[in-house]
Amino acid sequence: MIALRHINLRLVAAALFLSLLGVMLIYSARYDAISGSSSTHFARQFLWLLMALGLFYAFINTPLRLIDFSAYPLLGISVILLIVVLFFGYSKTGAARALALGPLNLTPSDVGKIAVLIALSRFLAYTKRPPESIWRLAISGLLVGIPAILVMRQPDLGSSLVFVALLFSMWYWSGLNPLYLLLIISPLVSLLAAFHWVTWVIYLTLLVLFLLFLRPGLLFGIVTVVANLAFGIITPFFWNSLAEYQKLRILIFLDPGRDPNKAGYQIIQSKIAVGSGGIIGKGYLGGSQSQLEFLPERHTDFIFSVLAEEFGFIGAMVVVGVFAYIIYKGINIALRCRSKFTSNLAWGATTIIFFQFFINIGMTFGLTPVTGVPLPFLSYGGTSLIFFWSLIGLLVLADYYWTEY
Amino acid sequence: MQTHRVDRDLRAKIGMGLLGLAVVALLIGLFYHQIILHNDYEVQSESNRIRVQPIIPKRGVIYDRHYKIIADNMLSFTVSVVPFEVKKDITYKKLGELLGMDPAAVQKKAKANFASEFIPSPIKRGLGIEEVSLLEEQGDAYPGITYSVESVRRYPVDASVESFIGYIGEVSPEEIAADPDKGYRPGMLVGKKGIEKAYDQLLRGIEGTNYIEVSARGKIIGPYRGKDRVAPVPGADLNLAIDLDLQRFIVENFDTNRCCGAVVAMDPRNGEILALVSFPGMDPNIFSRPIPTELWQGIIGDSLHPLMNRPIAALYTPGSTAKLLTAGAALETGKITENTYLRPCYGGMQFGNRFFRCWEERGHGRLNMLHAIEHSCNVYFYQVGQMLGVDTWHDYATKCGFGRKTGLEIVGEFDGIAPSTAYLDRLYGKKRWSPLLAINFAIGQGEFSVTPLQLAQFYCGLANNGLVYKPHLLREIRHPDGSVVRVAPQLSFKLPFSQPTLAKLNEALKLVVQGDGGTARGRRQKEYNISGKTGTAQNPHGNDHAWFVAFAPSEDPRICVTAIVENGGHGSEAAAPIVGKIIHHFLINNVPQFAHLKKEVASTRP
Repeated sequence: MIALRHINLRLVAAALFLSLLGVMLIYSARYDAISGSSSTHFARQFLWLLMALGLFYAFINTPLRLIDFSAYPLLGISVILLIVVLFFGYSKTGAARALALGPLNLTPSDVGKIAVLIALSRFLAYTKRPPESIWRLAISGLLVGIPAILVMRQPDLGSSLVFVALLFSMWYWSGLNPLYLLLIISPLVSLLAAFHWVTWVIYLTLLVLFLLFLRPGLLFGIVTVVANLAFGIITPFFWNSLAEYQKLRILIFLDPGRDPNKAGYQIIQSKIAVGSGGIIGKGYLGGSQSQLEFLPERHTDFIFSVLAEEFGFIGAMVVVGVFAYIIYKGINIALRCRSKFTSNLAWGATTIIFFQFFINIGMTFGLTPVTGVPLPFLSYGGTSLIFFWSLIGLLVLADYYWTEY
Repeated sequence: MQTHRVDRDLRAKIGMGLLGLAVVALLIGLFYHQIILHNDYEVQSESNRIRVQPIIPKRGVIYDRHYKIIADNMLSFTVSVVPFEVKKDITYKKLGELLGMDPAAVQKKAKANFASEFIPSPIKRGLGIEEVSLLEEQGDAYPGITYSVESVRRYPVDASVESFIGYIGEVSPEEIAADPDKGYRPGMLVGKKGIEKAYDQLLRGIEGTNYIEVSARGKIIGPYRGKDRVAPVPGADLNLAIDLDLQRFIVENFDTNRCCGAVVAMDPRNGEILALVSFPGMDPNIFSRPIPTELWQGIIGDSLHPLMNRPIAALYTPGSTAKLLTAGAALETGKITENTYLRPCYGGMQFGNRFFRCWEERGHGRLNMLHAIEHSCNVYFYQVGQMLGVDTWHDYATKCGFGRKTGLEIVGEFDGIAPSTAYLDRLYGKKRWSPLLAINFAIGQGEFSVTPLQLAQFYCGLANNGLVYKPHLLREIRHPDGSVVRVAPQLSFKLPFSQPTLAKLNEALKLVVQGDGGTARGRRQKEYNISGKTGTAQNPHGNDHAWFVAFAPSEDPRICVTAIVENGGHGSEAAAPIVGKIIHHFLINNVPQFAHLKKEVASTRP
């Protein structure tokens, strides 16, 4: 039982601020100027917030040992859920991402994220193999890879990218030489380089020189080279295997003007919302881009655009600042923890918040691609809100138990 | 563990660095878009939400000279459904009953015209007030059904006015590209032909603008407060010189057995066009609504060319009506006097190796100029033509207004052909044609071709002491601010004939009707004198076309009428009677001096 005074209240306050702001923005995003009322989304989000806070309180009173112990069973359950959602998930937009459990639309990808985070923290904390060991990398890759691929099959490119980011970040935090990360990413670079054989040959030459300089283990070297060759050869197949909208999103990211009426429309309308907000914004409920429905997905993925339109650069700066504070705190907590496991948990939780924060806000003005990643605490969605509050719970736990080994 | 802690410090610092970079990147991006590019996005945001709606001004009304309406506007209703408000079971069924359509067809139409849930999807256009008033009264019984009002051009008179009024239609992309300054907007209704086109900018007025705030799906939120409504300026009303009563009289009296032809009635004193008729006519009302393809194909494919504006855009050889030009040129150049007798007519004459016929096979015998015109003797004018030669003849023809446009306001006028040496050289090759061609031109045959309006203009000049006023249709512009601009008659040119020559020509023209041997003596009237000239235009494709040009009263001409009846044969039989009727009708109705004749006519009828 953690006494209230031991809880990192600033962290909780920051998350609460964002969550309440989210409810407020959802009200505005779904506001109808003619009838003068909003849809029930904001009220539902508020109820979710209450539930998330309750779960958060239960979570921080869970013994660390129980969390540690339940890592793999939880992962197993989430993998099953992810398989189930592929068959029974309901879909509004062509991607089946949620399971309807009574009033709750459970998104297993969020459950998967937390399960993977705990399992990965545990595995990387207790394995005796050195950070560069191919087996250590392979098994941790498998722990993340299976749920990530299942999520990608939904298809939900954004969430599967969160898994990949989490894996790399955790490898890095548990001691992997960053240069090895480059080697691990190299097959993807090979993928891109292989669009033309000349670039591919140049790239492969550089890779071999790099390997000679780094001198990793023999097995590691062989796997790297084989992976590079394999990816380079399958490039054309990869591109053709992408769903049309995924290809489109990549192309739109590179050139938003390409198709202003379809996918590019989102980015353009969002940029107009953000840009027309100016310094102080158009005022609460005054954003014409949001109110007049020009902005798509405005209460979910593009909630930040509503903020930027109605509260301007100042409002946007405040939110970015609060996120930066939470992430800053998270890194410090991870750094302070004596136990590898809790440190890993804190680092991983921070990574997920950081990644989604950056990708989502960047997306509203075209810095990052539109991948369907919600903004932590602010975007509409019960499971997502509960998930981010459990990450805060993990941070609070790690902060409180920092001395424990 | 100790080694790991050192390692972690550095890694955490790198993490912090990444966080810093990310925050800076986001803030720079937000700064760039929200502050530097703010104005651009502001404009885009405004244009997103504001729909600019044109307010279409009332198109000017076109009147005849007595303020009878030739073209005005009427309300037409379009019934639409608002998809968002549609109740599937009721809406389509009720609307089907109202419009007499199958509910499935109504639904299909609604789907075909769907733009957005909130934008009305048109079902049927051109409805009357009766159907719409039912909607107005029992609105609740018709959920999701709405109507809009639009103005449709209406031509309440008969079809004969289309030749000069024209019609209106949606502006074409080509027209927009050709005249970027005219304020065209895609979808705008503009004049496509005739007066509607010639005075389109006056009639059209200036569109106003409404600014409305709309949602992304087209739902109207209300008027936009940031910009004031710009009021439209209504179009000017036009008062034409046309006498609708005369126009109608001509249509009623034109021999309907003869398919085609043209009549031009002008006031020789000022060039005002009193009537302009093209047979067959077209109903301009059909152009006020979208034309069914089959109907359009029918119009285009009609062998009678109902869209051809014959008075200005059909070319005919002038036949004997051209003899006045020949006589005038010969008198002016001193080749003959009115008393010159040339070689007698024996039904024709040998020139070189060819025998040229006169229309009178028995021959006219020995004639002077006056009687040659009275009898319309070809042989006499063959000889005059030979004396003149092509060049002199061409010089006079040009000075009399042939071979060039009269300058009527409406587009589509033809030049006609007054052959010159250069023209004949081009046509046949240098020295490949005989100077004897002048013989043909002298009697109005061969390559010489004119529009009815050119001929009318020439005779107006003869009637008006040689002064030719520019033919025109517009009399007055009545601006919406109440000011009235009167169109002043414009002197176009003077005939190249001296007063004595004009007097002799007029004497001859009078003889055609008043003389005992005149070709149009059947048109003689007790109360006033008519001057005129018959003509027969050779037609290689069938029966000859019949001409008659006349003005009256001879001493103080008030009206000059030119008529051509295609395939009518001889001018005195097919064309002269109707011209006589037209002149009589006009004089008794417009000249007080002859008003009593009208009563006599009325009283003789029981």
